[in-house]
Amino acid sequence: MDQLPPDTPRIGVDEWVASVEGKRDRYTGVRGAVVKRWDSLPPAARVLVFAAPAAVFPFLTTEGNVFRYGLFTLVYALLALGLNIVVGFAGLLDLGYVAFFGVGAYLYAILASPHFGNHWQAEAAIPVVIVATAVVGLLVGLPSRRLFGDYLAILTLFFGQAFVIFVNNANRIDFPFFGHVDLTGGSNGIANIDPFNFFGYKVDSTTKQYYLLLIAVALVLILLMFVNESRTGRAWRALREDPLAAEVMSIPVNRLKLLAFVFGAGVAGLTGAIYGTIATAALPGDYDVGLLITIYAIMILGGFGSIMGIVVGAVVVSSVPELLRSSANARPLFYGAILLALLVKLRPWRLLAAEVAGLAAFGFAIHGIASAAYPRLVHGESIGSGLFARALDHWMLFPKNPVKIADVAYILLVAAIVMYPQLSRLWRTVLLPPLLYLVMFVWENLLLVHIGGATRLILLGALLVALMNIRPQGLFGTATVEIV
Amino acid sequence: MNWSLFFDLTVSGLTLGSLYALIALGYSLVYGILKLLNFAHGDVYMIGAFLGWYTLHALGGPVNPTFTGAVVLLLMFIVAMLGCGVLGVAIERFAYRPLRNAPRIAPLISALGVSIFLQNSALLVFGAAFRDYNTFDLIGVKTYNIGELFFSVPQLLTVVAAIGLMVALTVFVARSRLGKAMRSTSFDREAASMMGIDVDRVISVTFFIGSALAGAAGVMFALVFGQIYHFMGFIAGLKGFTAAVIGGIGSIPGAMVGGLIVGLAESYATGYLPQGSTFQNLYVFALLILVILIRPSGLFGTAAIQKV
Amino acid sequence: MRRRRATAIAALLALGAALAVVAGAFATPERAAAPAAQSGSDAALVKCGKTRTIGFMVPVTGPAASIGIQQVHWAQYYVSTYNKTHKTKMKLQTEDTQLGAPTGTAEALKGAQALAGSPNALGVVGPAGSNEIVGVTKSLKDAGLAWVSGSSTRTELTTDGTRTGYMFRTVPPDAIQGPTAANYIINKLKYKRVYIIDDQETYSTGLADTVEQKLKAAGVTVGRDGVSQQQSDFSSLIAKIARDTQLVYIPWQLTPKGIAFGNQMKAAGKGSVKLMGADGLFDSSFAAVGSHVYDTNFPLNPKSKIIAGFKKLHGGDGEYFGAPTYAATQVVAIAIDRACKNGTATRAEVRGAIRSTKISAAQSLIGVALRFNRNGDLSTAKKFGLYKSNGTVFVPIPG
Repeated sequence: MDQLPPDTPRIGVDEWVASVEGKRDRYTGVRGAVVKRWDSLPPAARVLVFAAPAAVFPFLTTEGNVFRYGLFTLVYALLALGLNIVVGFAGLLDLGYVAFFGVGAYLYAILASPHFGNHWQAEAAIPVVIVATAVVGLLVGLPSRRLFGDYLAILTLFFGQAFVIFVNNANRIDFPFFGHVDLTGGSNGIANIDPFNFFGYKVDSTTKQYYLLLIAVALVLILLMFVNESRTGRAWRALREDPLAAEVMSIPVNRLKLLAFVFGAGVAGLTGAIYGTIATAALPGDYDVGLLITIYAIMILGGFGSIMGIVVGAVVVSSVPELLRSSANARPLFYGAILLALLVKLRPWRLLAAEVAGLAAFGFAIHGIASAAYPRLVHGESIGSGLFARALDHWMLFPKNPVKIADVAYILLVAAIVMYPQLSRLWRTVLLPPLLYLVMFVWENLLLVHIGGATRLILLGALLVALMNIRPQGLFGTATVEIV
Repeated sequence: MNWSLFFDLTVSGLTLGSLYALIALGYSLVYGILKLLNFAHGDVYMIGAFLGWYTLHALGGPVNPTFTGAVVLLLMFIVAMLGCGVLGVAIERFAYRPLRNAPRIAPLISALGVSIFLQNSALLVFGAAFRDYNTFDLIGVKTYNIGELFFSVPQLLTVVAAIGLMVALTVFVARSRLGKAMRSTSFDREAASMMGIDVDRVISVTFFIGSALAGAAGVMFALVFGQIYHFMGFIAGLKGFTAAVIGGIGSIPGAMVGGLIVGLAESYATGYLPQGSTFQNLYVFALLILVILIRPSGLFGTAAIQKV
Repeated sequence: MRRRRATAIAALLALGAALAVVAGAFATPERAAAPAAQSGSDAALVKCGKTRTIGFMVPVTGPAASIGIQQVHWAQYYVSTYNKTHKTKMKLQTEDTQLGAPTGTAEALKGAQALAGSPNALGVVGPAGSNEIVGVTKSLKDAGLAWVSGSSTRTELTTDGTRTGYMFRTVPPDAIQGPTAANYIINKLKYKRVYIIDDQETYSTGLADTVEQKLKAAGVTVGRDGVSQQQSDFSSLIAKIARDTQLVYIPWQLTPKGIAFGNQMKAAGKGSVKLMGADGLFDSSFAAVGSHVYDTNFPLNPKSKIIAGFKKLHGGDGEYFGAPTYAATQVVAIAIDRACKNGTATRAEVRGAIRSTKISAAQSLIGVALRFNRNGDLSTAKKFGLYKSNGTVFVPIPG
């Protein structure tokens, strides 16, 4: 089915029509069959589809990998699920969400660490943490009754900032009635947090923490699926789509908003307590905007309001940067992504073949000219060993001292990519090989060199922009249509 | 009362405030038209500061400039403003335009992507080390004093230039055809396009102006405070954003007043409140929350009218 | 309605299944995992081969990248000189920690796990920040890795006993540097009105607290403030500093911020107030602020050949903040070589070798012999050196 260009306003098409269209769109081919099967699964079975491979994961790999990929994916997923209640279900743009995560971690640290000498059992500490965080959520949610959209976002954003400043400096505050209490350890944070201790059973290894998190995620997932179908869930969606109409339908808007805040904060508090035991410390910088961005990226990548999408989003956002830590992984990932994009974009395969041939020829031509005229440009070597790297040496330019040239090439490349879509079709076809060559030159000479540092984040940023361009509704989201 | 302290704090607050106002204007202009929080704005400001630095060094550096200080300074501003303006237009073209009819949160993520991208590209290309403008060498800064009251040339320059730019912008928006088009587009995009206004062009111009102002602010910042580095856009963006909100996001006079309020509040908080500089940001945020709670749409903002 | 009940039952079944899987998982790895952690990393034999790997945790990106790059330069400088003079080669496996970034210590944690799981890494240089060390302690310890930091100065890191045998540092803790500065202000300068500003990072607050205590005990009037490391505008803070203040103590981490502060002091007409930094600001660019600038640093010998070689490589800039990282790399490299004498090594052997490090003052860059006490601190560094600027560089103050 033809897709309308995204710029065309679809005036007068309401959500129901859009969703039917969307369904019809999806019911074709293999993908359609998969979607159909998926839609007919009961929610719990859907959870199993994701939980089963996750439960096997630790048997397949090392503890370090379980920690880097598994634990962080699950922590992010759990946080995003909680955020999804507030933003995805109820439509309240909460930018202070990670502060609740921090409140959970600090509360657990206060209850179970040498800082105050408390060592509570987990079965007592966890409920206290969840309830207390939920109460904080309630307090922050109170002003939300008065505020709309972006202003709520701003208020919560600054609540998050205020939290960070507070915990970073709380050791300098003299509290009324109590006098001087070093509540949060200031910039040093609170260290040596106890592992969870359930009736004497200690959750103290990476594997155990992983399974604990997995249970938590599965429970929250199931809970959310039920809530989603419940009266409250439907009321939340009504609230998200149109608060005014919802109010007219005598939906208790204020109570629902607060409820969403409380739920979200509770989940974040639980996650915070778990993360505290993983990191074994509650440090002020850990609950700042950076994490907020990650969590939002997960939620929106996965698809706004889609529960399973969030799990997939968490896997993507937490593992891609980790995979990119080493150049051995980065190279195949990078070229794989480019190849995939070409396969999708260049439709008649003859065109693709012609472009690739053009690229190869262009490379040899440039390399030939350079080695004859400017031998300094080919004196360097590509990074790494193996056939591919050595083959590249005979095709790609590797200047002896690439720093300056590569910087200029990088700026050129960014400019070229911005300009490229503005060209006519013919020029785009002709100029694709040189552009690809430039991409590869910058990658090999600059980006790959800095793969552990700036490159990872540059690619993450580019990925976010590109994905939003391709699928603004997220991977698993359905397109909603503005009703005019 | 210690008048000399008060004067010092006021001068510093006004200097900072006019920088914040320039950044806030970019947020407000874009928000007014697209209802989009352009999170990449702070990083455009950072790029502006670097463009100024490269211009300065292309012209022989601060100690031995090719031209006299004033000309170099002017060129730095021009390059930074043009460069940032073009960058802003490119960002809009590439990251926001395809998303114009997407759910409102999608461009927000796209903006975050651009922000991460710019920050780390700067790290890659400009390097991690701090760069210094060496203003002292460039314009032979003297400190002037009237009795106990001190102020320096870059501070004066910043305040004057910022006011000049703001007046120019106000006149442009109020008088010119394009300004009129901008106002009508921000009022109702669809109606404007039906009236024959080229909305795409208006949006491009808005991004150009907003980003150019950020570029100017970047150069001014570096002139007054010296150091520039790849992460500087983050905190400045946050402050500019606060200023825009306090003034009423979407409102041009609001952004200016908001900027000055934030700058002065920061300065007075540092000077007069207990543990002032430690909790400076907390005090500013408290002010912000107070303003939002009393006037949810900011000082100069108009309350959003719900369409049913 | 029926469908709902079916879903509920399915959900319970799924939950039961998940619990069963988990219970099974706990039952088995309990036996397997605990010894595996021991044999898997701590005592695992690594074939040393021709190229040996040093893990290196450093902020390559993020707000602290400007000091991270200095550590990278110095570590790479050691490795390149080592590789020129030895038959066996050293390699750095660098993990970015993004110190001070709004993402917190998560990146450091992941980096530590990447090193823990690396089949070749035998010892670690870094991490840079004290909070990062608190965060990664469990990860590195569980993997049996020793780490040598060249910049974390919080005193309790080594004295609280949690990291004994695992953590070492080539930079003296706050408890040594603070008193040196305070005693000089009290006894030599005999100042009575001092202002202290920290940069709200752990390194800085620790030093500032120590000095504040000492000065107050000696009857000095002390003003105290903090300013965020992200801040570049100090004008309102400067306005608050009384004109008759004799010295401002700024134990900050980022040299450029120190310079900005000095210049803004001048611009506010307070250029005559003396400034004193700590080792974080020990850089000739800070000295260039003026001859009224003091600093403390470990006794570095600016005329040493190592420093001259480094300066030549990096455009005349000493980048002294990274110098202890050179020493840290040296310690780890030599320890790995000693553990590798028989062709193989374990992480436990490397830990032992680091613990018994003996590098003479002549071979060490930081001016004292490198030997560690029981806690993991340098047993040789009892005192910090005091320096005063001559307008361009720092000159040691005799006595």
